[in-house]
Amino acid sequence: MSSQKKRNFKIEAFKHRVELDPKYAERTWKVLEHAIHEIYNHNASGLSFEELYRSAYNMVLHKYGEKLYSGLVTTMTWHLKQIAESIEAAQGGLFLEELNRKWVDHNKALQMIRDILMYMDRTYIPSCHKTPVHELGLNLWRDHIIHSGKIQTRLLDTLLELIHRERTGEIINRGLMRNITKMLMDLGPSVYQEDFEKPFLEVSAGFYSGESQQFIECCDCGDYLKKAERRLNEEMERVSQYLDARSEAKITSVVEKEMIANHMQRLVHMENSGLVNMLLDDKYEDLSRMYNLFRRVPDGLSTIRDVMTSHLRETGKQLVTDPERLKDPVDFVQRLLNEKDKHDKIISIAFNNDKTFQNALNSSFEFFINLNNRSPEFISLYVDDKLRKGLNGATEEDVEVVLDKVMMLFRYLQEKDVFEKYYKQHLAKRLLNGKTVSDDAERSMLVKLKTECGYQFTSKLEGMFTDMKTSQDTMQDFYASPFGDIGDGPTLTVQILTTGSWPTQPSPACNLPPEIVNVCEKFKSYYLGTHTGRRLTWQTNMGYADIKATFGKGQKHELNVSTYQMCVLMLFNSADGLTYKEIEQATEIPASDLKRCLQSLALVKGKNVLRKEPMSKDISEDDTFYFNDKFSSKFVKVKIGTVVAQKESEPEKQETRQRVEEDRKPQIEAAIVRIMKSRRVLDHNSIVTEVTKQLQSRFLPNPVVIKKRIESLIEREFLERDKADRKLYRYLA
Amino acid sequence: MKKEDTVKLISAEGFEFVVDKKAAMVSQTIRNMLTSPGGFAETQLGEVTFPEISTPILEKICQYFYWSLQYASGKETEFHIEPEITLELMMAANYLHT
Repeated sequence: MSSQKKRNFKIEAFKHRVELDPKYAERTWKVLEHAIHEIYNHNASGLSFEELYRSAYNMVLHKYGEKLYSGLVTTMTWHLKQIAESIEAAQGGLFLEELNRKWVDHNKALQMIRDILMYMDRTYIPSCHKTPVHELGLNLWRDHIIHSGKIQTRLLDTLLELIHRERTGEIINRGLMRNITKMLMDLGPSVYQEDFEKPFLEVSAGFYSGESQQFIECCDCGDYLKKAERRLNEEMERVSQYLDARSEAKITSVVEKEMIANHMQRLVHMENSGLVNMLLDDKYEDLSRMYNLFRRVPDGLSTIRDVMTSHLRETGKQLVTDPERLKDPVDFVQRLLNEKDKHDKIISIAFNNDKTFQNALNSSFEFFINLNNRSPEFISLYVDDKLRKGLNGATEEDVEVVLDKVMMLFRYLQEKDVFEKYYKQHLAKRLLNGKTVSDDAERSMLVKLKTECGYQFTSKLEGMFTDMKTSQDTMQDFYASPFGDIGDGPTLTVQILTTGSWPTQPSPACNLPPEIVNVCEKFKSYYLGTHTGRRLTWQTNMGYADIKATFGKGQKHELNVSTYQMCVLMLFNSADGLTYKEIEQATEIPASDLKRCLQSLALVKGKNVLRKEPMSKDISEDDTFYFNDKFSSKFVKVKIGTVVAQKESEPEKQETRQRVEEDRKPQIEAAIVRIMKSRRVLDHNSIVTEVTKQLQSRFLPNPVVIKKRIESLIEREFLERDKADRKLYRYLA
Repeated sequence: MKKEDTVKLISAEGFEFVVDKKAAMVSQTIRNMLTSPGGFAETQLGEVTFPEISTPILEKICQYFYWSLQYASGKETEFHIEPEITLELMMAANYLHT
């Protein structure tokens, strides 16, 4: 049969039953009307579906569709009015239940009516463009029940009242609520939105604005956030329990706005409990809560980030500019590292590892580390300290971790060349004094610097390591050669340093004791014999020596001293007491070094192999020094410390700075030439930007300096000014 | 077969056809009769009387129900209809919404 339908076979209705008596329609409708009444009265079991269906079928077939349809509307309307009355009559809390029950009844009746009128639904309604039965039933329900004057406001008030009661902690009948909101949704999204959702959102906004005001007055930030979070979760649960899922975004945005967005600034800046305090006290939970809540509102995260950044900059600035802190560079760097660790942890635990927060952290560190121009020096000192002793007993991984952290700080530095300068100095001291604890660690640090800054940055440092190695070999060869026969003279170890690789400062060689000079000469003739065309100069300010000394009661000690100290001590082989002037004359050690060296020989408790008169805490030029007969020590070996690797004194610092500036000049010039070579013609500002860009991995060149360099290059005819436009420079090949 | 799974279709002449509910529900009208929530007489008794459908037509209809259940979805088979009953069958089909 369906196959015939496909061929669009027109079906003619039962034409043979045309002989209708005029009352037929009236009579048939009465049957149906009766049935509808019975259905609403729950009396349907006595009805024959077939009979009713056939009646409706025939009515439609015989063109009484209009009568059937309007009859249905009238009958249903009449019933709904009855229902409305009964719902209106319901008392207090029973109101919703009555409404719900009637709704269920109506739905069921509607279903049955639709079934028996199915033929009308199928043929008459589409052809006349009328509302299908089911929809008609819902519309009538909406118009006569939900929008009836007495029910509409009462329904809304009851719903809002129940929700309010639930918000204040009472238990309400959620199933009933769900049925009612479901009904509103069934009646169409606009009914749900207009008759419930909109006022619901307004009332909620009022409720939360009041509540948040109250909370913010009496709670600290952490508690407030907890409460806000709870409220937010409650609302979400409410939506899942008995509201339309589409309401979730709306109600949460109301809560977010009222409880978070409106109070964001106040929360973040709350005294004693705001963001800054949370950061200080590592309150991961609170911070994480704040992050998650603020993330929901516009500008929320940027607010947190801004406050965190300014807090970091503030504390960082204090840290790097506090003169107390500057006294101990190692501690200074350690504090920086701790600060970094702390905030890294906060970001990873509480802030979801948010990239923007990491960037904020990095930029803050970059900002304040460079506030103090001694940071490069201190970081190098920190590494020096770690590589000297701090890593004793640490495993390889630990070393790596420490070095990686240092590299992280290094990355923040703008003046990387200054760091290089200091690192070179400190490395030189470590190597020459044999103070490095781990060759691997040194190498690993070097590799890190190389990956960070390229080959050029570390080539000289690597040269230093190579020198150390060749020196070892040379010494072996020296002692194997005929020159190496030094009899019972002191054993000499020479380290041959390539000029340029090492941070040697030309310092006048001091007068070495004759025994030493003798050996030195032998080495010199050996070395120059094997390597022609080289020059050897002695860096007496860098070496060290082990000497044996016998004191008053015959106790013997081995003293580990610097070259300078050795020179001083050797003088006392022939004299018991010497004045400062005499020592200075005999050794020709530069005054500042001599003072430092005497200080460590005479004034350090337990290591005072010299006695000074008069006794005072400083070395003055009028002092006289005596060999300290009464010196005693528990140890056979006594290490006389020199004042090593201290942070630089003010004049030294100036000097280093100057040297750095000096070193920068050729680099800037090279950069300018490189740029001009490819661009040929360029204006001043572009050159400055380009140069800055090229060099920023090493340092931030000062525009004034760049200008001077350009001028110098013009003078030397690498560049010329354009004749027409004075701002343009031209490259001269 | 259990009684709940079958339905009795009665023709105008009073002939009774007991068919599988599943088969009967090929007709949208019968489906509604049997599943309507109100509990009409048909649902309770499990029988439907068609005073306007004659025995041969109802028999053909029942055959069609089973045929449809088996073949309608896919296989190309013919459901044979004698030309002389075509018209009546069509009318019944319209009524039963088949």
